[in-house]
Amino acid sequence: MPDYLETTVDKFIFKVVTDRLYSPEGVWALADGDRIRVGMTDFLQQLNGDVAFAEVKPAGTTVAAGDEVATIETIKANVEVPSPVGGTVVEVNPAMELSPEAINQDPYGEGWLVVIDAPDWPKDREALLDPQAYFELMKGQAEDEAKKL
Amino acid sequence: MTEPYDLAVLGGGPGGYVAALRAAQLGARAVLIERDWVGGTCLNIGCIPTKALTTSTELLLKSRRAHEFGLAISTAAPDLPALMEYKRGSVDTLVGGVEHLLKRAGVTLLRGTGHLSAPDTLRVQPDAGDAISVSAGRVILAPGSITARPPIPGLDLPGVITSTEALDIPDVPARLIVVGGGVIGLEFACIYEALGSQVTILEMMPTLLPGATDEVVAQRLAILLRRRGMGVVTGAHVEQIVSSGDGLAVTHRDAKGVLSRVEGDRVLVATGRWPNTEGLGLAEVGVKMNGRAIAVDEHLATSVPNVRAVGDAVGGMMLAHKAMVDGRVAAENACGGSRTVDYRSVPNVIFTRPEVASVGLTEAQARQRGADVKVAQFPFSANPRARILGETDGLVKLVCEVGSGVVLGVHLMGPHVTDLIAEGALAVQLGATADDLAWTTHAHPTLPEAMLEAALGFRDATIHFQRR
Repeated sequence: MPDYLETTVDKFIFKVVTDRLYSPEGVWALADGDRIRVGMTDFLQQLNGDVAFAEVKPAGTTVAAGDEVATIETIKANVEVPSPVGGTVVEVNPAMELSPEAINQDPYGEGWLVVIDAPDWPKDREALLDPQAYFELMKGQAEDEAKKL
Repeated sequence: MTEPYDLAVLGGGPGGYVAALRAAQLGARAVLIERDWVGGTCLNIGCIPTKALTTSTELLLKSRRAHEFGLAISTAAPDLPALMEYKRGSVDTLVGGVEHLLKRAGVTLLRGTGHLSAPDTLRVQPDAGDAISVSAGRVILAPGSITARPPIPGLDLPGVITSTEALDIPDVPARLIVVGGGVIGLEFACIYEALGSQVTILEMMPTLLPGATDEVVAQRLAILLRRRGMGVVTGAHVEQIVSSGDGLAVTHRDAKGVLSRVEGDRVLVATGRWPNTEGLGLAEVGVKMNGRAIAVDEHLATSVPNVRAVGDAVGGMMLAHKAMVDGRVAAENACGGSRTVDYRSVPNVIFTRPEVASVGLTEAQARQRGADVKVAQFPFSANPRARILGETDGLVKLVCEVGSGVVLGVHLMGPHVTDLIAEGALAVQLGATADDLAWTTHAHPTLPEAMLEAALGFRDATIHFQRR
């Protein structure tokens, strides 16, 4: 795993890797040129529990930033995952059909959802949070959730 | 020539025997002509024996999970001769039950092969002795269906079987290839998988269960089967079956024309059924056909006065319960009634693992008809009873009309959904709304609560599941 920030809230440990950007909704964006790999954060996957099904928009789908790019059905919730960038889905994680638990096991690695070809990445990235900023936001979100337990 | 009957029914399956019983209730003197066993395909080589096998195999698999339920069951293994005996016993009991009902109702059961020799006369060749003529004021044709034989080279090779032979299991093939991912193919796939076969399903259409359920359900079922290790290939056009070493091989082509080959020890060809309408004298007496099927109107009348037809032979949905409804309609009309068939609430039930059941319109069908649709879904993983049963795979999907909330379709996958669909059928038949379902108190903790929770979803008010 790349370098990461880590916090413990209640009995849960949450990690934020430092090599990518984040949307406030808990979706990460890892750029390779203007091809952006997208997935759920550790906090978002732990919040929703074991994944049963992942329905990801197929390659060729055009999305705007904020549009749903995947629906994750867990034992607790249906999670609509908003795309952190606008563009065209060019790759879908083939593991999502048969082993979507990869989202729980390795949210920043094997559990990626899609790769989006994002022509406006330089502009889209301005709306995203750097790891430290997301880390602080997430800590607050996690503490709010812990109060509900 | 026998004395004239009020009604002669040709074929003793679910359509025919129900017609005979209903006509007898209404005071008709009825004769039922059957060449094999009453109960037809359903009771003898269809619904009933396969359900005996699914019951046993589900128990087998559940027994192997006994430790999850705090039980110590050391070995759970199939005993094939005993399994065949149980299956036979299930069939025999129900066939005996139908024979008893016919006897008590005063229906004459005539064993032999019959055909129409005139609009009011059937010529019947009994198993032994001379042919006799049976005359009747009214005739109901209920000849059922036969296994379809697709134009695939190699169907006659040893080890290539139909659903009828697949019911007899002297030994379990190591590798089973199932050609056809419809209801029959998938039920057998799950039975043989439980007994230990490595199963590969080849379906020509892009999804499993084409036309039998909603696309989401079909896709989810395919995923669950693949996760268990079953081979599920959709969009597979089977080209031929050939001998290969000690076994068989099936070659198939995908939509792009790429050829693949699957090896197996047995090949089950389950590509549907055809109306059984040859050799019945239909053309000779002028009964109009609709392809292989007998053409009927909404009262189940054929083109020949006083001749009606029911069940698989009239095409459409080839389901025992649909045939039974046909039987009642045709019998009442033969006895002076004017009832119209109403197929809105005919459910499809598929005894796979998990089970699948559907009634009414799929989401795609509803949209094609121009309906403004809202879908409400609820997963069985959030249902307490399903969790206790350890059977959490599946979902309830309601297709509702925007605004009114009228339930247009109900699509289920999960534990005991072949029973749960009865509520969906009632909702569709009555034109019930999602609110009607949601405000009908469903007992806790039961599986039908999942119907209530899904119905709450119509107003985004599901209680036991979150949306983020």
